[in-house]
Amino acid sequence: MGHVSKRLYSSASKLAVSTSQLKQFPPKEAILRPDSGKPNFFDPESWATLQPPPTSALTAFAHRIGLANVLSSADVVRRACTHKSFVNLHAKYYPSSPAPPTNANLAMLGNALMGLFASEHLHAAYPHLPTRVLKAAVSAHVGPLTCASVAQEMGAVPLLRWHRQPTTPMSPALLHSDALASIPRAITALVYQEMSLQSARKFVQSFFLSRQVDLRSMIKFRDPKRALIETVEKFGHERPKSRLLKETGRYSNSPVFVVGIFSGQDKLGEGFGSSLKMAEYRAAEDSLHRLYLTRTPDHLLQVPSSTFPSKQGNIYKTGLEAPYTPGVLGEAEILYASSGRSNIVAPKRPTLEEIEAKREGLDV
Amino acid sequence: MATKQILRAQLRSYPANGHSAYLPQVRKIVLEYCQKLPSSTNTRTFISNDLQRVAWQNPHVEFVVKQRNGHEPIARGFYVNGRDKVIPLQEFEVNGVEKKVQLLLDSSGAKIKQLKKGRLVESTTEAARGIWSGLHVDTPFKI
Repeated sequence: MGHVSKRLYSSASKLAVSTSQLKQFPPKEAILRPDSGKPNFFDPESWATLQPPPTSALTAFAHRIGLANVLSSADVVRRACTHKSFVNLHAKYYPSSPAPPTNANLAMLGNALMGLFASEHLHAAYPHLPTRVLKAAVSAHVGPLTCASVAQEMGAVPLLRWHRQPTTPMSPALLHSDALASIPRAITALVYQEMSLQSARKFVQSFFLSRQVDLRSMIKFRDPKRALIETVEKFGHERPKSRLLKETGRYSNSPVFVVGIFSGQDKLGEGFGSSLKMAEYRAAEDSLHRLYLTRTPDHLLQVPSSTFPSKQGNIYKTGLEAPYTPGVLGEAEILYASSGRSNIVAPKRPTLEEIEAKREGLDV
Repeated sequence: MATKQILRAQLRSYPANGHSAYLPQVRKIVLEYCQKLPSSTNTRTFISNDLQRVAWQNPHVEFVVKQRNGHEPIARGFYVNGRDKVIPLQEFEVNGVEKKVQLLLDSSGAKIKQLKKGRLVESTTEAARGIWSGLHVDTPFKI
């Protein structure tokens, strides 16, 4: 098969419509009557894009993600897989029929819920993680690219109904990944609406928070030695001192030095390098990694949203809350090269005396 | 020393299917047969007798039965990674047809990879026991 025919075949198979679910095939608008004076404006590709996915595909999707009890009808799943950009396309070709329900509201709610669950889980799991890294980790776990990837892995790509929108002066272009990302968010919101907050959290935990994320690559250092000195001072320990632990080949073309950083008797971290400076830098980085990436074990992990009741009922009645012991708040992170822009200097605001002096000067 | 900026919208996580939730990889199976040709007889028997039981046992898969006269019987599986697998069914008995449908149900849709010859094994996670270091042993090697 040549590449042109291969591409035609793949695009045709993506648009393939199951004819068993249609009332009439070929559709009325496709049939050309030569005796009537009406011109034929039928475009098969547009027609195929407008057809809803078959009920069997939607119920199979619900079973595949394990939510057959929650997403009870195919209409609910169809709504979750319809992006708001589809409404304009539908209105253009079927102006008299009602607009199909979209996942816009559900996606908004689901996005907020996912952000909540991811933030509290990551904060409870990594209590010493710097703020910027925590925000980046939340994006990595429940951000747009991850949601699009999860939708693809669920098999929602042939079920998605959307319409590509180019860049306009008022809004950026709508991408396929953004439309896909709305599907898992809508499903999270549906789980919350049909079941409870706890069930929604379990859903997000199993599909998003147990995926592989490399946190180490998100932690960037400008001067790890200075950051380590300030952090150790904040925790009230002795000033860190670096010591050469092992070395080999000092005067050869490939030396190896192993440097350890100690605070009194405790070794904070260890690093290797082909020069003393490099080894000391790596040791400081290692010490800070060991602090920032401290992880709470899963059996000790408790999140604030676990206090919400799992049953649906009156939230003002006492006795429905689950027990919760809040984690001990650790030391806040140091201000050097962490949250806040330490480079940028804000313009100095004039003091009250200076303002009054100016006013008096003007009066005089 | 300036550090490279992290663009938050470009960050993503990588799949770990089965660590907590398992997503089956097959989404649709299409069985094509001919009404008249004798090569489709076993496939037609399978469709009328056993297909419903297989479909009930696999609610996560969409089963489609397609009549295609004048062509050989085929089982086509569509997977979540966008690929499809096609198996011709003309030489099999009824239980052979079921075995091939089960093969499609068990597959992941990925391309068949070499297991031994010239294959590089690369892991996404770090070594569980750590990489050996000659400087971190009790008695280092002496020439």
